[in-house]
Amino acid sequence: MDGLGRRLRLLGAVAAVAAVAVAAAGCGGGDDKAEAKKEFAIGFQGPLSGENQQLGINAYNGMLTAVDSANRSGTLPFTLRIVASDDQGSPEQGPTAAQKLVDNSRVIAVVGPIFSGATKSSEPLYSQADLLSVSPSATNPQLTSLGFGSFFRVIAPDTIQGAAAADYIAKALKAKRVFSLDDRSDYGAGLSTALEKALKAHNVTVTHDSVNPTKDYTSEATKITAAGPDAVYYSGYYAEFALLVKALRGKGYEGRILAGDGSNDDQLIEQAGADTAEGALLTCACGDANSDPKAASFVAEFKRVNSGTKPGTYSGEAYDATQAIISVLTKEGTGATRASVLSGFRAVDMPGVTKQIKFDGHGEVQGSTVYVYEVRGGKRVVLGPTTALLKP
Amino acid sequence: MASGGQIARLAIDGLAAGAVYALIALGYTLVYGVLRLVSLAHGEVFMLGAFGGLYAARAALPAGAAGAGPGVLACIGLVAAGTVAGGLAGAVAALGLERAAYRPLRRRGAPRLAYLVSAVGASMFAVSLAGKEFGRRDVPVPGLFTDQTVLRVAGAPVSAETLAVVTAALGLLLAADRLVAWSRLGRSIRAVAQDAECAVLLGVSLERVIVATFVLGGVLAGAGGFLYAMTFHASYTMGYVPGIKAFTAAVLGGLGNVRGALAGGLLLGLVESFGGYYLLDAGYQDVIAFAVLIAVLLLRPSGLLGARLGRPA
Repeated sequence: MDGLGRRLRLLGAVAAVAAVAVAAAGCGGGDDKAEAKKEFAIGFQGPLSGENQQLGINAYNGMLTAVDSANRSGTLPFTLRIVASDDQGSPEQGPTAAQKLVDNSRVIAVVGPIFSGATKSSEPLYSQADLLSVSPSATNPQLTSLGFGSFFRVIAPDTIQGAAAADYIAKALKAKRVFSLDDRSDYGAGLSTALEKALKAHNVTVTHDSVNPTKDYTSEATKITAAGPDAVYYSGYYAEFALLVKALRGKGYEGRILAGDGSNDDQLIEQAGADTAEGALLTCACGDANSDPKAASFVAEFKRVNSGTKPGTYSGEAYDATQAIISVLTKEGTGATRASVLSGFRAVDMPGVTKQIKFDGHGEVQGSTVYVYEVRGGKRVVLGPTTALLKP
Repeated sequence: MASGGQIARLAIDGLAAGAVYALIALGYTLVYGVLRLVSLAHGEVFMLGAFGGLYAARAALPAGAAGAGPGVLACIGLVAAGTVAGGLAGAVAALGLERAAYRPLRRRGAPRLAYLVSAVGASMFAVSLAGKEFGRRDVPVPGLFTDQTVLRVAGAPVSAETLAVVTAALGLLLAADRLVAWSRLGRSIRAVAQDAECAVLLGVSLERVIVATFVLGGVLAGAGGFLYAMTFHASYTMGYVPGIKAFTAAVLGGLGNVRGALAGGLLLGLVESFGGYYLLDAGYQDVIAFAVLIAVLLLRPSGLLGARLGRPA
């Protein structure tokens, strides 16, 4: 029933934006000049259905917040609209979802894709169309070195997350043996590679394994328990991590269980159960807007637009990505084209709610902090940035 | 590596998975015995049963008690309630399936292939409906148990959850086996399986037997669905893989053979568990199951125990 409710809310939200757009257009029409305001569409690509839809929905809601505020501000010489394209987070469906946005001539820029695998398969289409795409969340390290001219991201790559997580595991948790498991996705494999490299540099014994997303982690849990690690780190998404945690605890594993940003969502707690998820640690190159005083106005705005929902993982990043796109559009005015937005975006330098939004030549956002979250009493709590947690 | 504890662990995992496969496989085998029909939508009966049990368990679990963990008796009651509700939901789903997808074809004397197409259609309908109603994501069963070890078998820890799943599933399997062997209904099912025309001449109501067979298969699959969801999750696509694995189990034991489905399910669970650990990594469990299916079809198409629902068990 939850899923249905969420879907309805999403529909409602889309309808609300449409209504705002229509109302704005209507006002223009009522004017003596009878000149409708120009409308630009910003595309969204990410999982809006499927097992890991929550991460897509978080980002979508962040984007909606930015677009809605911009439209309401009344200072834009144009109106904005969102065109959403659901890729279910899968690499196979990515190109289809991207093509839909590329073919829509009103779409001037895209927020997304959300998942790394889908990004890798979709970016060739965006590059070819000179259509800017800004991902709030695709963290696979390779993505910025594959020659995609139109790809930017407002989150640090997993080389940074992996290294920071390894620091934390080796120095703060003082683990000697670590079991690193990934889901064989572009995201998971990239993160586990970065993590293991950094762990080995700390002289930690690492056992690596990969398992495609499945429901049955019992035998993997048996294998992990048999290896007897101090800590298990999972590089993959929350739907699978929830099952893995359940299987591990069911097998009597008592060490620390960690995962990366793909598992950093409250859905983890709901799906694994609060008791089972207790003590699980999550690393993410994303802070929690809800506990950041500087982001208070963003959180309030987000709740207003999304009928009381709190920002989730990637909501702030998606908001920043959208704001950055809007800032370029504002500068260029109604004459903006896909190509001009793309070239204008390289020069973006603005304060965002998550970090300063400024890119290097590869489309990588500059400077980033990795945070550690812990599940405590059925809630995700920010322990702090890894650098602060290492201090004795 | 091959310590005693490890072997016991793998055996318990295999038994837990295998018992659920066997529960679903019985439905395949009973329906095949009576109608010579592979009901490919049976996995969806399992899925709908899981949701039925899940909502019953949610309704029965008093809000707020989940954190503290209900007492042992309450837990047993909840598992029983969920299993019964799962069974009921499975029975309703199986009946609906029979009514909507198979009976009209039977009345018309449609060819075999039509049933298959109809089953695939019904399966797609059920998956889409469930996706719409229950959400297209994993839905957890409320945590009935904390994940504590309640007993050790040969050094292997067994959680309360696993114990409950194995006990309930084996109990149901035993009951089903006895029902088919001893009861009047079981006798008429076996009679129809052996020779439908002759059974009808001797006064067995064919329609009643068909309905009873679907209901029995539905109860077992639905209850199995709830037990499966307790271990993992319920989701609208959950019927697909276990459905095919149970079909493998039924073929493995001999399609149409009740004991065969039982043995096939348990054996498949064990093969998967040990094979996933010793031969390949855990990600290859499904590969192992389907390799078994192919091997059986090539080497012994009638299954290990042969097809013999009609013959005295």
